[in-house]
Amino acid sequence: MRSNRKKWRRSDFELQSMVLMGIVFVLFFCYVPMIGLLLAFKDGNAVLNITNVVFYGEWVGFSNFEIFLKDKNFLDVIVNTLGLNGLQLLVNFPAPILFALLLNEIKQSKIKRSIQTVLYLPYFLSWVIFGGIILSLLRYDGGVLNELLLAVGVIDQPVNYIAQPSYYWLIIILSSFLKNVGWGMVIYLAAIAGIDGCLYEAAELDGANRWQKMRYVTLPCMAQTITLFLILNISNLLDNGTEQILVFQNTLNLSRSEVIDTYILKYGINRMMYSLATAIGLFKSVISVILLVSSNALSKKLTGRGIF
Amino acid sequence: MEKIKSRKIHAVSVAEVFIIAFFVFMALLTVFPMWYVLVGSFSEGADYTRGGVIFWPRVWSFANYQYVLIDIRIWKAYGITIARTVLGTGLHIVVTFIVAYAMSIPLLKFRNLYYGIMIVTMFFGGGMIPYYVWLSMTGLLDTFWVYVIPKMFSVYNMLVFLAFIRSLPGELREAATLDGAGEYRICMQIVFPCCKPVIATIVLWQVVSHWNNYFDSMYYVMNGDLYTLQYVLKIIINELSVQNNDLIPPAVLETLTPTVISYAAIIVTILPVLFVYPFLQKQFAKGFMLGSLKG
Repeated sequence: MRSNRKKWRRSDFELQSMVLMGIVFVLFFCYVPMIGLLLAFKDGNAVLNITNVVFYGEWVGFSNFEIFLKDKNFLDVIVNTLGLNGLQLLVNFPAPILFALLLNEIKQSKIKRSIQTVLYLPYFLSWVIFGGIILSLLRYDGGVLNELLLAVGVIDQPVNYIAQPSYYWLIIILSSFLKNVGWGMVIYLAAIAGIDGCLYEAAELDGANRWQKMRYVTLPCMAQTITLFLILNISNLLDNGTEQILVFQNTLNLSRSEVIDTYILKYGINRMMYSLATAIGLFKSVISVILLVSSNALSKKLTGRGIF
Repeated sequence: MEKIKSRKIHAVSVAEVFIIAFFVFMALLTVFPMWYVLVGSFSEGADYTRGGVIFWPRVWSFANYQYVLIDIRIWKAYGITIARTVLGTGLHIVVTFIVAYAMSIPLLKFRNLYYGIMIVTMFFGGGMIPYYVWLSMTGLLDTFWVYVIPKMFSVYNMLVFLAFIRSLPGELREAATLDGAGEYRICMQIVFPCCKPVIATIVLWQVVSHWNNYFDSMYYVMNGDLYTLQYVLKIIINELSVQNNDLIPPAVLETLTPTVISYAAIIVTILPVLFVYPFLQKQFAKGFMLGSLKG
C-alpha cells in the first residue's frame, strides 16, 4: 500500500502520532467496551470474575432479553421512559422556540439582555443544586408550595409531592422546563440574530406586519436549527437525563420514576446482574440507532435537511 | 395614512408590554426558588420548621453555615472537584485540539478511515455496563483518574475545533512549513492562538460538566475521600439527622435541622458558579453555534 503513495515524510509521522492519540482513546474507551456486549448473550449474572465470562462464559442465546421482557416492572419502565420523553418533546422542545420568538419582539435591548441573563442561569447549576432547590419548594413540612395552596384553599392537607408517583412526571417536566428553557432560548436567539436583515426589509416593502415577518421570515430561517434539535431529541427518546431522574427518585415514587437508564444501573451495578443489564442496554442502543436513522431520513424527505 | 401608522405603533407596544410582563414573571419564577433557599439557609432551624418563612428570615442564624463549613467532607470535595476540573479540562483541550489539528490537514494519511472510526462512536457504544466492567478491569474504578482520563477526548468537541480550524486561512500553515517548523510547533504555537474564541467556549463546557458531575462519584467511586462536591451535596441533602459536633455548642446544635443545613450547603456550592457566571454567559452559546451550523 505504501509503495503507490508518496514517500512518508517527517511531518506525516508527526501528524499520525497526533491523530493516533484520539484513535487510541476511542479504541480504548468506546470500541473495547463493545466487546463487553457479548455479556448480553452469556451467563454473567451475579458472578465475581466477569472478565472470564466475557471470553469463556457459556452462551445462553437471548435468555437475558427474555428475562427483562417478562419482568413485571418492565412495562412500567418502558411507559415511564417513553412517556417522560414524549412529554419533554411536546412541552420542552417547542418552549424555547416560542420564548425566543417572543423575546425577539422586544426591542429594548437592555430588558432583553437582563431577561436572558436571568433565565439562562439555572442551566449552569448542577442537577443536585437545582433539584435541591426544587425539592425545597415541594417540602411536605412547610414547603412554600404547600403553604401557598393551603392558604388559597386548593388543598386542605399538605401534599407530599415527592413521595407520590402521580406527581413525578409533572416535577420532571416542570423542573426541566425551568432549568433548560433559557439555554434553548439563547441558542435560538443566536440563530435569529444570524438572519440576513435584507429579508426583513424585503418583507416590509411587501407590507408584512410583525406577525407575518415572524411567520414567513424568522421561523423558516430557524428551520435548520430546529430540525437539528428535533432529530437529536428523537434519537434520544430512550435517554432520560439520568442525573435529573436520580435526584428526584426515591423508593416511594419508583413506579413512575424508574426509566431504562436507572433500571440498568440498578441491575447492572447495584445488583451485579451484568448480563441482564448489558442486554437491556443493547436493546436500548439498537432502538436508539433505528430512531436516529429513521428520523433523519424522515427529516430529509420532508424538509430536505438532515444531520448526515 | 398618518392615523393608521400611529395606531399600529400603539398596538405593537401593548403587545410588547404583555411580552415583557410575561418574561418578568418567568424571571421571578426562576429567581424566587433560589431566594427561598437563601432565606432558609440564614434561618434558625427550629423556628423554620414552624413554616411561614418565605421572603425574609424570621429568626436569623449563622449556625447552619458554621455547621456546613466545619464539615471536612465539603472541603475535601472542593479540593477533589477543583483538581478534576483543572486537570480534566486542561488535558481535554490539549488532546482534543491536537487531534482536531491533525484531522484538519488534507494531506493526513488514512484521514477518512480515522474519521469513520470516530464518527461511529457518536451513535453507538457498548453501553453503561460493559463500560463499567471495562473501567473495573483497567483499574480506573475507585481512583481519582476515573474523573479525568475517560474525559480526555471527545469526538463532538473535536468536530467543533475542526470546523473552526478549517475556517482559518490556509497560508498560516504553509508559511510555517516553509520555515521548517514541525507539526507540533505549528499546532501549538501558530494555530492554537488563532482559535482562542472556540477554545474559550470548549473550556467553559468542560469546566461546567466537570464541576456539575455527580454520576461519576456515585457509581465509579467507593472511597469517600474521593467524592466530588456535587455528590457530597447530594449526600448532605439526603441526610435525615444532624450529626453531633464538638465545635458547635449543644444549645445551638439543638436548633439545627437537616433542612436548613442542606440549604446552607446548597448556597456554599452555588457560590463559585455565580461568581464565574458573567464569563460563562458570554462564551457558552458562541461555540455551540460554530459547531452545529458548520459541522
